[in-house]
Amino acid sequence: MSATQFLFWFLSILALFSAIMMVVSKSPVHSVLWLIVVFFAISVHYVLLNAQFLAIVNLIVYAGAIMVLFLFVIMLMNLNAETEPLKNKWLKITGVIGGGALMLVLVAALKDADIRNRIAETNKGEIGLIHNLGMALFKEYVIPFEISSVLFLSAMVGTVVIGKKE
Amino acid sequence: MNSIITSAVLGVIMMFSGIFLKKNSSIVLLAILAMVALLAMAILEMSGFHFFPVETHDMLYFDVFGMFFNCIAFAATLAFFLLSGRDIAAIGHNPGEYFALIFFVLCGISIASSFNSLLMLFIGIEIFSIPLYILTGSDKRNLKSNEASLKYFLMGAFSTGIMLLGIAFLYGASATGSFFLEDLGIGKNAGSPMMMTGLILLMVSMAFKVSAAPFHFWTPDVYDGAPTVVTSFMATIVKAGAFIAFIRLFKDAFGDLKHNWQIFIAILTFFTLFIGNITAVFQQSVKRMLAYSSIAQVGFMLFSILGLNVMAQEGILLYIAVYSLATIGLFAILTRMKDFSFQAFNGLARQYPVAAFSATIFLLSLAGIPLTGGFMAKYYMIASVMETGNFFWLVVFALLCAAVSVYYYFKVIQAMYFKEGPSQELELSPAFNVLLISLALLIILLGVFPELLIDRLHIIYI
Repeated sequence: MSATQFLFWFLSILALFSAIMMVVSKSPVHSVLWLIVVFFAISVHYVLLNAQFLAIVNLIVYAGAIMVLFLFVIMLMNLNAETEPLKNKWLKITGVIGGGALMLVLVAALKDADIRNRIAETNKGEIGLIHNLGMALFKEYVIPFEISSVLFLSAMVGTVVIGKKE
Repeated sequence: MNSIITSAVLGVIMMFSGIFLKKNSSIVLLAILAMVALLAMAILEMSGFHFFPVETHDMLYFDVFGMFFNCIAFAATLAFFLLSGRDIAAIGHNPGEYFALIFFVLCGISIASSFNSLLMLFIGIEIFSIPLYILTGSDKRNLKSNEASLKYFLMGAFSTGIMLLGIAFLYGASATGSFFLEDLGIGKNAGSPMMMTGLILLMVSMAFKVSAAPFHFWTPDVYDGAPTVVTSFMATIVKAGAFIAFIRLFKDAFGDLKHNWQIFIAILTFFTLFIGNITAVFQQSVKRMLAYSSIAQVGFMLFSILGLNVMAQEGILLYIAVYSLATIGLFAILTRMKDFSFQAFNGLARQYPVAAFSATIFLLSLAGIPLTGGFMAKYYMIASVMETGNFFWLVVFALLCAAVSVYYYFKVIQAMYFKEGPSQELELSPAFNVLLISLALLIILLGVFPELLIDRLHIIYI
């Protein structure tokens, strides 16, 4: 087992474990902290796939900005475990059945995924550099890139409409 | 490209109009003029005048079907502005921004009617969803509006997540790793479990956006809680935009695989017709009844995805035009009323005969009574499925449901004409009455001569 493979398995187990811990933790603050671990593990996965820029952006934006915001909101709103509303037993059972059925379908779909022919190219760190990313973004994907500005503009207008004091 | 760029630019103009125009009436006037300009741009685009030669790298694909849909949607929005522009401006303190958000929604709709890549589908759907979350909650001091907005936002965010998951599966299953529609349904993976999973996840999220049962649970609460003018826009033009994206996706990308997925659409149609019509019968409020009726109408629109032939294309455009005009007209009257219960309509015909007559035409059209546009639209939908020779049981069931729908639409007509009620003050100006009656006449015209609309679809093909 090469170092890359070892790293891959280690990170995958770490990501899955933290994701499960995030869901089952009683305290919201612990949940957020576990989620940050998930983001770190996934970011290192991106590095393994030669997507260095994506890895850094993922860390800065998600783990850095969004999760810190989450922590602030949770602390300011004082969301403790005691205030958590009681959940219906039947709701839990149907949730487990529904989620289990979805997992079955997803596993069945991924079971015969073509993994031999499309193996990840490791140790060839050219693709994910910001230069190549910029070339793709401003050549082939320039239309979605530019049009998403309308999306952000409308979100900004919306924030002002909702947030402005009347 | 005309409609996408123009609508985005007009949105920005409307956004800044609040600085220069202080009176609500002048903002409404500007919005109506902007809408006329946008409609003109869409019509010119259909006639072959492209003012913005942009290299789209095949991300967008402009065909007559999509461009004609844009014209219909913009014309319906113009009618909506003319009828209820004043009410939009009166939702809150930011009239310019409300119109700006509506123009951004139209930009999203024109992307959803011309996408050729799943990336553009995603961006288009998001562009028309996010302004809607805001518009739903724009009546800030009304708790019901706040609740509706939050509910819509959370559910919409989940459905977006499901859509992304589906897109990821389809990308993995496509032969060359591509987001383009023409590469999706082909290759050695066609019909494999991975592709079908992606397809069904996409179907679920699109069914959510058009509020087809069993993914309709948000619809009544959101339509009921949102300001009535916004409900009118959401239930008609936006729903039609989502529907065009739905039909384009399944026709262009998965048309060859239709034997694999048609049964799922048939099940969706069955539940949508059943739940929409049966629940609408028990509603006490007209606004909520119209929310359920919009679900029931989606059941009929879904027939076009089962048919997937020329007749389905013609029919869905006719359906969208007729349904949007009728619902916009009804909501315009409803917006002027203070009380949304059936009793509020009692004796309306004696006091406001023009409004009551137009409302009767709109309701008859929604119920699908002959001579109105609604009848021809339903006929086209059913005929397109009959042409394929499958799903006869669903057609019979749809006819039964249409019969049920007559009951709750006629309840309003009955209240207006055959019941006595206290006199009430509605602000119905003469211009408003003229507009209502011309909408009603247009619906009858489309019912008698549907070719007037449908033939446009083929003129440019030849």
